[in-house]
Amino acid sequence: MMRHLVPALALLLLPLVLASLAWDPTMLRAVWLRDPALARTILVELRLPRTVLAVLIGGALGLGGAAMQGLLRNPLASPDVLGPSTGASLGAVFAGYFLGGGVLAVAAGGMAGALVALALLLALAGPAAGTATLVLAGVAISALAGALVNLALSLAPSPYALYDVMFWLLGSLADRSLPQLAIAAPVIIVAGTLLLRQSRPLDRLALGEDVAETLGVDVARLRWTVVVATGVMVGAGVAVAGSIGFVGLVVPHLVRPLVGNRPGATLLPATLAGAVLLVAADMAVRVPVNGQELKLGVLTALLGAPFFLWLVVKGR
Amino acid sequence: MKREARAGMGLAAMLAAAAAVASLPNLAPKSPPNVPLAFEAAPPPVRPQRVASLNLCTDELALLLASPGQLISVSRLGAEPNETPAAGRARGLARNRGRVTDIVALQPDLVLTSAGDASAATAARRLGFAVVNIVQPRTLADVSANIRQVARALDRVAAGEAVIARMLADLGPVPREMQTALMIGGGGQTIAADGLSAQWLRHAGLQQQQIARGQVNLDQLLAKPPQVLVVSRYYPGQMSAHQDWLAHPAIAALPANVRRIETDGRVWTCGGPLVAAEVARLRALVKR
Repeated sequence: MMRHLVPALALLLLPLVLASLAWDPTMLRAVWLRDPALARTILVELRLPRTVLAVLIGGALGLGGAAMQGLLRNPLASPDVLGPSTGASLGAVFAGYFLGGGVLAVAAGGMAGALVALALLLALAGPAAGTATLVLAGVAISALAGALVNLALSLAPSPYALYDVMFWLLGSLADRSLPQLAIAAPVIIVAGTLLLRQSRPLDRLALGEDVAETLGVDVARLRWTVVVATGVMVGAGVAVAGSIGFVGLVVPHLVRPLVGNRPGATLLPATLAGAVLLVAADMAVRVPVNGQELKLGVLTALLGAPFFLWLVVKGR
Repeated sequence: MKREARAGMGLAAMLAAAAAVASLPNLAPKSPPNVPLAFEAAPPPVRPQRVASLNLCTDELALLLASPGQLISVSRLGAEPNETPAAGRARGLARNRGRVTDIVALQPDLVLTSAGDASAATAARRLGFAVVNIVQPRTLADVSANIRQVARALDRVAAGEAVIARMLADLGPVPREMQTALMIGGGGQTIAADGLSAQWLRHAGLQQQQIARGQVNLDQLLAKPPQVLVVSRYYPGQMSAHQDWLAHPAIAALPANVRRIETDGRVWTCGGPLVAAEVARLRALVKR
């Protein structure tokens, strides 16, 4: 099972990606017959950034969740529960709406926000805090950042700003652009690669810090690497797509039993599973329900929240 | 926030004068049906000397119609140059935030309110003020009726007829040749194909495309581009995801046969007489 998990997930991802690119093929075909250049624009300027961002951000959330759960040795750790995602929203909102920054500044603000939220979390809860302390600290940071996003957008000079609360707190991949992809992709790929290389040290950390140290793991360095890489990766994703909840929490739990419960071995399959989940969710939101399109974060929360509850019940 | 709520919110928020608004408010006419306002139609016996307006749309009418000194207060939106071209005339007037409490101390002898904010009219009447409450216009005839109603209340009937005459002259007949059009604001917000804004647009020779739910996404826009894309400029240069949407490279990549023209987003908020001059400008652009 373990050996086949990664290829199986990759095989699952491929058709989903193609389906996302070629969404509504009848419409695409009609446009193609009428005006091939326009059909090309739809594919390159709309479908490509949307799909690739879904893969990258889904992967980043799955990977970030798996890495945080491994590092903190806590099943409830993930960017969306413990604050980095909302912190990234706050940073992006502040950079964009008040400092008048462009796409680059918004991305930088998102990353800074995620890092500050993570640093605050670790300072409050300590590196290996108990579940209750960690989750309490994370939920408090998340709630505070969410409230500040609301406040900031209420006070922003643009009369449209308040409409954007939904985007920043629920996320969306609709109408994303190539320039946004060009900003997020390199950051996510570099930070993600760095995180994936922490697989072995994370496995050893599961044996306890002292044992890990004797096995040659520099625990302090590992902690910094995971925190900074996760923060940067999540921040870049949030800056272009808002904070999308629950993917980072749920995905590692889905794949961990399939890899013998080793935190390090969870990283790669969690990345792929996160990508699969988000690409699928992003296609699902394009199907109107009752004449309305759902927000991405609503859908992932609908899938994720019951799972969260199940975790709580199982852990009692 | 539901999308319906967002689409309709422009008007509701504006009428409450509690917040600034979307540029294209009359997307989903969800206001209560027009109520006959018989007892309000009778003008006050003497020309009111201290008129206060609590709403952007009544501000615009009052600023166009009042004689110098007659108007003493407008809403803060009515005095905001980013919200209405009439803001220049509001210089020196007291600003209110759309609430009756803001104007009690000014002791107005006439209060203008809009039917979108029923509580303002009720509260003002309860405090004993004379109130004229205008309906949200659904048709061009409603626009003229509102002008007449406010003009009569201000004892400025001749000024009202002059404004209507100028409006109709600017408007002209509906051109025989129509082009399909899509009016878009930030975030892809658009107008209802049968709404007031679309009726105004027809006088510019533009027939608004039918778009479900008052919002268009880029997939839809590119799949079925209109002949003329009317981009509403409203608070340009201020950061929001809504404004960002208008800068998406896919819009720039539309085929060359799709004409792009810009419109002043401010006049469409209320859809009142100020739209007429903008329609004349658009008609001249479209003809060229």
